Amino acid sequence: ASGKCSPKLSKGKMAVPKAMVALRHVKSVMVRFCPFQTNVETTRTFLQHVNSKKARASNINCIVTTDVRHDGSEPVVDIMFADGDRLIIKGANLTAAEMLSAFNSRCIAKDLKVEEKTKKKSA
Amino acid sequence: MAAAALCCRGSCRTGWLPTLQIVRHAKSVTRHWKAMHFERQKLMALTEYIAPKPAIPEKCITPHIKAIKEENGYAKLLRRQVVETFRDSKMIAVCQHNFTPSEEMLRMKYRLRKHNIHVKFFPNEIVRPYLSVSKYKNLLPLFVGSNLMLASPEIKVKEMLQILKNVPQINLLGACIDNTILSNQGVVNYSKLPAMEITQGQVVGTLSLMASQMCALLQHSSVHLTALLDQYIKQQSGGAGETDGKAGEGQAELGPAKSSAGP
Repeated sequence: ASGKCSPKLSKGKMAVPKAMVALRHVKSVMVRFCPFQTNVETTRTFLQHVNSKKARASNINCIVTTDVRHDGSEPVVDIMFADGDRLIIKGANLTAAEMLSAFNSRCIAKDLKVEEKTKKKSA
Repeated sequence: MAAAALCCRGSCRTGWLPTLQIVRHAKSVTRHWKAMHFERQKLMALTEYIAPKPAIPEKCITPHIKAIKEENGYAKLLRRQVVETFRDSKMIAVCQHNFTPSEEMLRMKYRLRKHNIHVKFFPNEIVRPYLSVSKYKNLLPLFVGSNLMLASPEIKVKEMLQILKNVPQINLLGACIDNTILSNQGVVNYSKLPAMEITQGQVVGTLSLMASQMCALLQHSSVHLTALLDQYIKQQSGGAGETDGKAGEGQAELGPAKSSAGP
């Protein structure tokens, strides 16, 4: 009994291409949303990408928590980075691609910082 | 003569050119494709058939018949399964399905199956139209993204929650238990409820408590009065110890009071 649905039936909901979500610099991710609301879809897609196989493999120590509430609050993603930075994304009016790009850009910036530091140390 | 001269010059069979084609000596019916004589080609081109065009082109008159797209058989099957699931199960829980390693998934399915809870996957395009028509309209916003459904003919919420706790990648979004749509918190509260028999016993106990207290309430005032008088008598007899008659009167008064307080 396989759990996968036939790919022919699901029409192309290609909102987000296969984005590489790298959780290397992330300490924890907290996603909070109210599933009975209508503006939650993008946050849920973001959560799915964060929970994907590759993301999980990139950082096993990263804690991903999901808070499912029913109080009509806005969907929020709270990311704590390893160096103390905190990124709060309010996903009510954002697309998943925007959220992921914002997150990825910050990850890349951190990558660059780390590379510079290592260069300085070596030099 | 000229033909013969031509023949001598260009008669190498391997590399013949059509311009030097000899009409008289070459075979007319060949196995390979042979170009027609130029004049014949011209004639053929001139006498090609040109079909008569109608005044109004057919496209404008005849209606465009759209072929009826027959529905995919698999979709029909899935729809039937969805209908059956919703009809036969008392407890339906909808969870968000993030990536779970297959072993964990298998373990979870096995544990759930022990409690007769089935894990179902349906594509959203099939479930949403069915939900919008049925009485489960309020579950519509849940079916967005990748989900899985836990369906069971029995209601075993505590066990389900315990098993789901062990799998962090599956998040419970909402449930429909006994025709009541519950959120995550609602499901947790439901699991904490005591069993039906205990609640029924509690209700019966509360009602009977009222009835049992009624007798005591009615007797309360007279019992209080007798107690007070008892106390007074004791004080009198204990304190003074002189008037036995008064004590006797007090007792005589007590006597009718007690009898009146009786049933």
